[in-house]
Amino acid sequence: MRCPLNGPRNISEFVYGGEVVGMPDPETVSDADWADHVFLEDNRRGVVREWWLHVATAYWFIAERDTATDEIVRTYPSSDVFTERVSFPVPGGKGGGT
Amino acid sequence: MSDGGVSPAELPRRSPVYRELAFAGARFVEAHGGAVAESFAIDAAAEIRTARRLALADFSLLPHLGFKGRETVDWLRRQGVDVGDRDNLAYRQSDGALAARLAPREVLLISDVAGRSGLCKRLAAAASIDEEIEAFPVPRGDGYFWFLVSGERAAAMFAKVCGVDLRTGKFSELEIAQTSVARMNAVVVRDDLGDTPAYHILGDVASAGYLWACLLDAMEEFDGGLAGLGTVRRLAGL
Amino acid sequence: MTGINRLPAPAGLLIDRSRTRTFKFEGQLVDGCGGDTIASALAANDIWVLSRSFKYRRPRGALTMAGQDANTLVQLPGRPNVPADVEPVSDGLDVRGQNYEGSLAHDRGTWVGWLHRFLPVGFYYKAFYKPRGAWRFWAPFIRRKAGLGRVDEAAPRGYFDKAYLFSDVIVIGGGPAGMSAAITAAKAGAEVILVDENPILGGALNYARFDAAGEAGARERQRLVESVAAQDGIQVMTGTVANGWFADNFVALMRGNRMFKVRAREVVLATGAMEQPLVFRNNDLPRIMMGTAAQRLIRLYGIRPGTRAVVATANDDGYGVALDLADAGVQIGAVADLRAEPDAGEMAAAAKATGIRVETGCTISSAIPGGGGRSVRGAVLSRIEGRGTYGGGETVDCDLVCMSVGYAPAGQLPCHDGGRLAMDEKTSTFVLRNLPAHGHAAGSVNGSRALDTVLAEGVHAGWRAAAALGLEAGAEPAVPEARGADDRNHDWPLFPHEDGKDFVDFDEDLQVQDILNACADGFDDIELTKRYSTVGMGPSQGRHSALNALRLVYRATGRSLADAPPTTVRPPYTAETFGVLAGRNFEPVRYTPMHHRHLESGARMMVAGPWMRPSFYGAPHDRERSVREEVRAVRGGVGMLDVSTLGGIEIRGPDAAEFLNRMYTFTYARQPVGRSRYLMMCDQTGVIVDDGVTCRFHERHFYVTTTSSGASDVYREMLWWNAQWRLAVDISDVTNAYAAVSLAGPEARKLLVPLADDIDLSPDAFPYMDVRTGHVGGIPARLLRIGFVGELGFEIHVPSSQGEALWDALMSAGEAHGIRPFGLEAQRVLRLEKGHVIIGQDTDGLTYPAEANMTWAISRKKPFFVGGRANRVHEARPLLRKLVGFAIHDPKAPVPEECHLTLYGNDIAGRVTSAARSEALGCIIGLAYVAPAQAEIGASFPIKIGQGRFLEAEVVPVPFYDPDNRRQEM
Repeated sequence: MRCPLNGPRNISEFVYGGEVVGMPDPETVSDADWADHVFLEDNRRGVVREWWLHVATAYWFIAERDTATDEIVRTYPSSDVFTERVSFPVPGGKGGGT
Repeated sequence: MSDGGVSPAELPRRSPVYRELAFAGARFVEAHGGAVAESFAIDAAAEIRTARRLALADFSLLPHLGFKGRETVDWLRRQGVDVGDRDNLAYRQSDGALAARLAPREVLLISDVAGRSGLCKRLAAAASIDEEIEAFPVPRGDGYFWFLVSGERAAAMFAKVCGVDLRTGKFSELEIAQTSVARMNAVVVRDDLGDTPAYHILGDVASAGYLWACLLDAMEEFDGGLAGLGTVRRLAGL
Repeated sequence: MTGINRLPAPAGLLIDRSRTRTFKFEGQLVDGCGGDTIASALAANDIWVLSRSFKYRRPRGALTMAGQDANTLVQLPGRPNVPADVEPVSDGLDVRGQNYEGSLAHDRGTWVGWLHRFLPVGFYYKAFYKPRGAWRFWAPFIRRKAGLGRVDEAAPRGYFDKAYLFSDVIVIGGGPAGMSAAITAAKAGAEVILVDENPILGGALNYARFDAAGEAGARERQRLVESVAAQDGIQVMTGTVANGWFADNFVALMRGNRMFKVRAREVVLATGAMEQPLVFRNNDLPRIMMGTAAQRLIRLYGIRPGTRAVVATANDDGYGVALDLADAGVQIGAVADLRAEPDAGEMAAAAKATGIRVETGCTISSAIPGGGGRSVRGAVLSRIEGRGTYGGGETVDCDLVCMSVGYAPAGQLPCHDGGRLAMDEKTSTFVLRNLPAHGHAAGSVNGSRALDTVLAEGVHAGWRAAAALGLEAGAEPAVPEARGADDRNHDWPLFPHEDGKDFVDFDEDLQVQDILNACADGFDDIELTKRYSTVGMGPSQGRHSALNALRLVYRATGRSLADAPPTTVRPPYTAETFGVLAGRNFEPVRYTPMHHRHLESGARMMVAGPWMRPSFYGAPHDRERSVREEVRAVRGGVGMLDVSTLGGIEIRGPDAAEFLNRMYTFTYARQPVGRSRYLMMCDQTGVIVDDGVTCRFHERHFYVTTTSSGASDVYREMLWWNAQWRLAVDISDVTNAYAAVSLAGPEARKLLVPLADDIDLSPDAFPYMDVRTGHVGGIPARLLRIGFVGELGFEIHVPSSQGEALWDALMSAGEAHGIRPFGLEAQRVLRLEKGHVIIGQDTDGLTYPAEANMTWAISRKKPFFVGGRANRVHEARPLLRKLVGFAIHDPKAPVPEECHLTLYGNDIAGRVTSAARSEALGCIIGLAYVAPAQAEIGASFPIKIGQGRFLEAEVVPVPFYDPDNRRQEM
């Protein structure tokens, strides 16, 4: 697998971190949907986006992998997807966390 | 333990492998708050031959310091450090120290092999949490052991413990590999001593003893040995 | 001359006649030459029986002379199942046959052979599994009968290791195709590894005959071997087996005690082909062998394989065998050509010209055994009438039968990485499909046999590999004519006999009827046939049975063989020893800087996660007393525990407090600088996963500790979350940069005051839960006034390079105070007396805060923290269990163990998580999960302690010891 920071490395240098999924809004989501979010994975056939960690550098990145062929289509830094600071509104609604 | 020199346990800073060094007959001298192994062999020329062939040296007490944070590169540049622009490359400073760019927000500074560079000390003093700058010192000088593997046979030995091709034709000087060595995380930097290939290897100080033994075992078939810092300096022409 | 069957030089490419090797076979001294294998040295001395077969105990000899069959497996001291046809002889080697009782020549177990009709296919399944329990009765008997070699448990430990190898191209197979490919690729500038399992390069050029004159092979070998040697960039590895081909061209090589892991950009597969047997009655007798086996004996080892031979063939190569035999002085009784109208081949013409008797449209239908089945004395030739049917019979005297009726590609390796084999009806053999990306096949593995085609394919594969690397490799060489024109396989080389012993699988003693019966029993898919009949499951892994078994199964079920797949091919290609797989066995161990001091103080070390930690200090038999004294020292004086193993993470930046608020359950925004605070981490499902302490050294700087085993997971989890949140914070793992001790006990302050000259340690200046930075004994230190063990205490964190110096300073300053180092066992008792929970011991993978009475550590005012949402779900539901403190007052009661069950009525309510006898409290105390209804103070519950015994425990308040926490806040 090609690590975006370190280049191609043996797969034994990496740890899988689950599918890249958005988190539902904890304030509005139902208990059942939250349980679905934390316990279930889609397990789709085809190209999926996954978190991978290069262990030696503790570097998280994203890989697009075809679950049918196990082919890694591409890898890129997580900052390509997560570009903005995430804030959680205080319940009752008065702006960001800090 | 050693003839004429100091004893490591008399000084506050101690290498994680000082017992191994002493057992191998090291002659220690005081430096960097502790005792460093200056030489092993009675015959200095023989030790140099060993180092040209394949040798392991302990640099753990020599200055090395990390910086992390999203303003690390900018701040180091402002401090006059050449940090280049490519990750996984090390950049030589005017005093011989290396600035190893590990990631966009992480740099590891290691002194020259003679341990004379004052860079780490200067930067540690310059960094202050009050400055509101996101460039934070990380005490790698304590967290990371620092070994040096030198010699023509170094790459062949590394192939027994590391999955990255470190042969001189494939892994250039000052290139960095952050990888698994004998199943532990390590930073490997090629930094030849004159015309002798050499590699710095830094990693979890708690496993230093484990890796020391692994490397000596892997070196055996290549007729490897230990080298003191005096020998390393001589090879480097310092 | 070593051996009566030895031919004069130049025959014997591999042997060194000037060196004699004397070894023992079945207790008898045998002389061989340097370079001989066990089997060749025995053959030179006219010893042909090497083993007894697996089921019927029939005498067997070498079939392939290439290490591909199970017939040659012998026992060496400490090494069972060694293939005698590739294992070199050495002086003093003690070789024994396997799988017999009495002697190899006279096996008392041969009676099994007479029982064959009571040993039908699937026999074990049918016979021994009814009635229930029968297998247990029969198993030892059957295992003893059916065992292969003996494992010597006292065999000395070998030294095995692994190494990586790097190359642009790896060429697997050093025959004509492989050498051509390697030369072509290297010429273009590629770095090439050329691997061959044999001692020398050459492949079939070393033993086979390619022309009437018998000169082409040696000529080409010399040309290619010289070119390989002269070409820069080729690393030749002979005596090396490529045993697996995994994703992204990761090829596993084995040479001696070392495994090489090769990552190549291009792979050239030039592994050749394996000759296939003819099926007829008694086709397993010793000295019935492949034509190529006879050629190997002659050319590689200089051995005349018989005195009078019958050759069965279906191609020109068989005539080459006949010519080679004739050249070696073997009379040719007859050549039985299975083809009704053979193509005119060069070697056939030459053979006929010498006057050799040739019968066309004719097969061997049966072999006549000699001396107890230990040899062959004749072959019955019959006219082929149809597919597998024949008539008539004429016995031709012979002591050697050679089979040259076709080949199967040695195409196992690419099948490890998605390739597959399939039956090609036109050529009646398997062809390779779906080669892995960057894989190139050349030569007879590709179905090509003619030498010029093989050479051209090698050149072409080498060119393609070089071109794929982007090297300047010149114009594309001529593509050789497609394989397929080269048809050397007979389409039905099976001639069943009404009396059986027509073996399809020699390893497992399976006859034609066994395969047909398996189909009749309903196991008519080839994968099912294999598992039911065990065809292809023996040591040779179907190398000689897959093709014929497939033919039989498909015919029995009336299906077309076109594209039929053999059973799935899996790694490894050949047998490998566990030592090679295990290698040097790297297992990083972590030692604290004070490790040697512990050993010097007599510590018993224990594994704690990745760390080695002191369990207690004292002799093993003195464990209880040592732990008790360590506990007493802490309660009454001062003790010191090495806590360097605690995780340490620096959280720095403008968002540091916000980040902690999200990662941990408490609130940290208003934590004052200079104070510490408890940390509890949950995962997204609300389960407690870690805890620790955070010290605020600056508005923008927190130092966080984690549990000893949780450090790396917590660090990863933090990085993962912030990869998504993108807060302005830096997270650095400094676990190993700090050594730490916990100094605890009423004397702790007195001990420390003289050492800590720049920190005021008085209770008012440095109250409980405060943190300070300064120096201890001149060593820069972070001091935390916290206490897990419930006494006045300081955690002192210092740079790890000075950890041992700190330990030394404290031990020497503490001498006057009776300081005693204590280990994990004492710590567990001490913290239990305080009712402190250890995450992972008193919690499990399902424990959420309310169950462990930890809801006090949850902030209700934060917008978000990991696990917060799930915790709301948990708290809205009724509790199912609760962690309580308990006491057992019965002085005679044993201490319950962790995981002893607690009961509620007849139901399991929970389990004991910690328990110890507390000297301070004078009773047994512990923590346990019980039903919520049992959790009231004063309630009692039963603990089941094994052997049907129960203890009655009383729920008591925690902390058990010093409930007002006066001692730790002194």
